[in-house]
Amino acid sequence: MKQRAQISNPAKAKGWARRLTMRVGKVLAAHPQADPDNVRHTLILLEQPPLERLQRSLIRGRATAILRK
Amino acid sequence: MAAPLPFSESELRLLHVLLKRKVRFMVVGLSAATLQGAPVVTQDVDLWFENLGEPRMSQALQEIGAAYVPPSNFNPPMLAGTGAELFDIVLRMDGLGTFADEIKNCVEISLGRQKLKVLSLERILASKIAANRAKDKLTIPVLRDALATTKTVKRRGKKK
Repeated sequence: MKQRAQISNPAKAKGWARRLTMRVGKVLAAHPQADPDNVRHTLILLEQPPLERLQRSLIRGRATAILRK
Repeated sequence: MAAPLPFSESELRLLHVLLKRKVRFMVVGLSAATLQGAPVVTQDVDLWFENLGEPRMSQALQEIGAAYVPPSNFNPPMLAGTGAELFDIVLRMDGLGTFADEIKNCVEISLGRQKLKVLSLERILASKIAANRAKDKLTIPVLRDALATTKTVKRRGKKK
């Protein structure tokens, strides 16, 4: 999957969202039991480089741990 | 501006030294899943080593001033020293084969010029299903959906 460049234009952002919705629909057509949110979030993450995905996950994981304390 | 790496300089150094010395290890658990696109959160990076007692491992740790601390009553096995805190050591993976079997199921992620072995999403899901702890039960559906999504994306990519 192509990695996404930063979008700073509303028209382009809408286009990206439309394409994302279509891609979610295609995955759900093949896997109707899948949760649309999980599919959407996975597709968004697949546009990021792997180490950036891990970075996001660690930041959120640590923030959640701090909130739990 | 380039995206910041998830690792600090000392954490990166540890990984680079392990790779340079050809210590056989792979990233497993939720950090491995997230590297492959699964939308899950984690607090640490689990590393599965083939042989914790191998000389290359102790040489690598010595090079960066870290040490392996064997398990004791209340503590799991761990790496100690600057740059080692993020990493947890995994001794076995529920529901999976031996290290030698599972390394064949790894994907490779670039870490600078080196390649990091990362257990495939499919095998991570298998281990979570086998472990079936309360915390695993929460992530299993997410991992299952992420796997379905990545498979569909790959299939569509091949068709093009």
